Amino acid sequence: MIRFLIKGIMRDKNRSLLPILVISIGVFLTVLGSCWFKGIFTDMIDVNANFSTGHVKVMTRAYAENVDQMPNDLALLGASEFVRELNTTYPNLEWVERIHFGGLLDVPDANGETRGQGMATGWGIDFFSPGSNEPERMNIPGSIVQGALPSQPGEALISDDFARRFGISPGSPVTLFGSTMYGGMAFANFTVAGTVRFGMRALDRGAIIIDITDAQAALDMADATGEILGFFRDGQYDGEKAAAIKEAFNARYEGDPDEFAPTMLRLNDQNGLEDYLALSESISGIMIFVFVLAMSIVLWNTGLLGGLRRYNEFGIRLAMGEEKGHIYRSLITESVLIGTIGSVAGTALGLAAAFYLQEYGLDFGDAVQGGGIMMPEVFRTRVGPEAFYIGFIPGLFSMVLGNALSGIGIYKRRTSVLIKELSV
Amino acid sequence: MESIIQITNLTKQFPVGTGKFTALREINLEFHRGEFTGFVGPSGSGKTTLLNIIGSLDTPTEGEVLVLGNSVAHLTHKQSAQLRNKHLGFIFQTYNLFPVYTVYENVEFALLLQHLPAAERRKAVMDALEWVGLTDKAQSKPAQLSGGEGQRVAIARAMVKRPAIMLADEPTANLDSKNSHHILQTMKQLNEELETTFLFATHDEKVMGYLRRIISLEDGRVVKDEEIMMDKITEG
Repeated sequence: MIRFLIKGIMRDKNRSLLPILVISIGVFLTVLGSCWFKGIFTDMIDVNANFSTGHVKVMTRAYAENVDQMPNDLALLGASEFVRELNTTYPNLEWVERIHFGGLLDVPDANGETRGQGMATGWGIDFFSPGSNEPERMNIPGSIVQGALPSQPGEALISDDFARRFGISPGSPVTLFGSTMYGGMAFANFTVAGTVRFGMRALDRGAIIIDITDAQAALDMADATGEILGFFRDGQYDGEKAAAIKEAFNARYEGDPDEFAPTMLRLNDQNGLEDYLALSESISGIMIFVFVLAMSIVLWNTGLLGGLRRYNEFGIRLAMGEEKGHIYRSLITESVLIGTIGSVAGTALGLAAAFYLQEYGLDFGDAVQGGGIMMPEVFRTRVGPEAFYIGFIPGLFSMVLGNALSGIGIYKRRTSVLIKELSV
Repeated sequence: MESIIQITNLTKQFPVGTGKFTALREINLEFHRGEFTGFVGPSGSGKTTLLNIIGSLDTPTEGEVLVLGNSVAHLTHKQSAQLRNKHLGFIFQTYNLFPVYTVYENVEFALLLQHLPAAERRKAVMDALEWVGLTDKAQSKPAQLSGGEGQRVAIARAMVKRPAIMLADEPTANLDSKNSHHILQTMKQLNEELETTFLFATHDEKVMGYLRRIISLEDGRVVKDEEIMMDKITEG
């Protein structure tokens, strides 16, 4: 009987081709869509974690309240000892100091006079400590456009867009103007070691990245740091573990009324990422729900049309002594076959497109300007293990559900009018 | 001859609005193995309703209909499906072949429902196609057949499981004279060779010319039940 059904499916294009196309397109969109959203959310969360929030971040309470202003006058003191203590207490996280600052970048001409100036956002990160993962974490080696990573103190990386705007190349001098930790004016000269382009408008407009010791020297922040970021050593953010660490850490300082007492925030608590994380976790479920609902309605209608078209076939089968349940089950078996073929085809096409976009991405640079959340300009899909089944199951389910609903008519068929029906 | 259908005081009513329409009234009939019998009468006389009930597609309102010892009124849906599957064949005015399957596969379908082994199915299908003279069309699709050939495939499909009873509702209505006679001769031959009981509902005089028993119905009643003498059977 199965062979009989397969022959029917293969020969009757209306029974097979249309539903297979509908299922394939639906599964294709589901797979691609889920990989797309997963890619966007994962990239966005990773970028924010690596550049700004860490998986957890320790600051003074006062700094945390004004974190958008990069208030280094409210920085943590005794940073190196504090980092050592964090590494001992929470060894499953890697703790790093960061100084995030703003300033004016002055570009001198051959005579040392100002040739141009621009606003810059700066990062002081650990370039030189042995074993430091900071350059790789921020994907700096992969973002170098000209030159190289700083190899000694006094060297800086600047954003490539800024460098082009002012005609700066590696080896050029730049001067950073800012304010010290104590409110005084700060200025420091750097030699441009290289230029970087991260593909994020917020970073590429104007950025300067220097070693943290240079930042401490320039901003008069001896053994002080604005932020201490913690990263899970496996690189994967775990919201529950982060919450437990945050709770334990903050409990230690609960009774301390000092505004300079340290406080810890999770990634979720910063940059409005909580909603994005929630959406990221539920996006697959949302897509599957929408897909199953839409496809079931379409396939129900397709099944109803097919049922009408095959009205005579079902009638003759009833007259020949096939039980209603058997016909219904054969219809479901057909839908399983068609659903499987459509789902496999749709999954294959969806994965092919997802792998392509994972490799090459799509540039949405003009659309992602501004906003507090760091977003990459090139959106890429991310193909995870779930991409191999996320479309398959709803594809099959919606086909079976559609046919199951439309096939109920078989049970309502009155055998007493079969001869009349089959004689016209 | 062995009695295979007994109809006793059969009445069939259908609800019409708030009232009831009586399609069959107090029918008493008996049929034996190997009969070649027709129900004749004007439209609405109850021919098709009677075929429906004998074919266990419908149930009596009153009375009893025994088909091969099974009381049609008391069969479950599953039991009546099994009765049709194993013992009854249907031929319709339109051939109702499955359009996407070949002639061979159309005929084979009835045997798939009986779960016969492939070798047995093949032999039975080829025998059935030989009865109706269509072995050369085994791999053709229904769309490639003439009307007469289509009806012969329908006969082969109904006969392949060697049912005890064949129920034919206006089987020649869509055929020209030549094809009608061809079909009727085929059915008569099968009736004689296999002792299958044929029951027709018809107003086609060509069919009546082949019948050995004619039961006339009017307003749901049997008004005449006559055996036809062999010398009066015209056979075209």
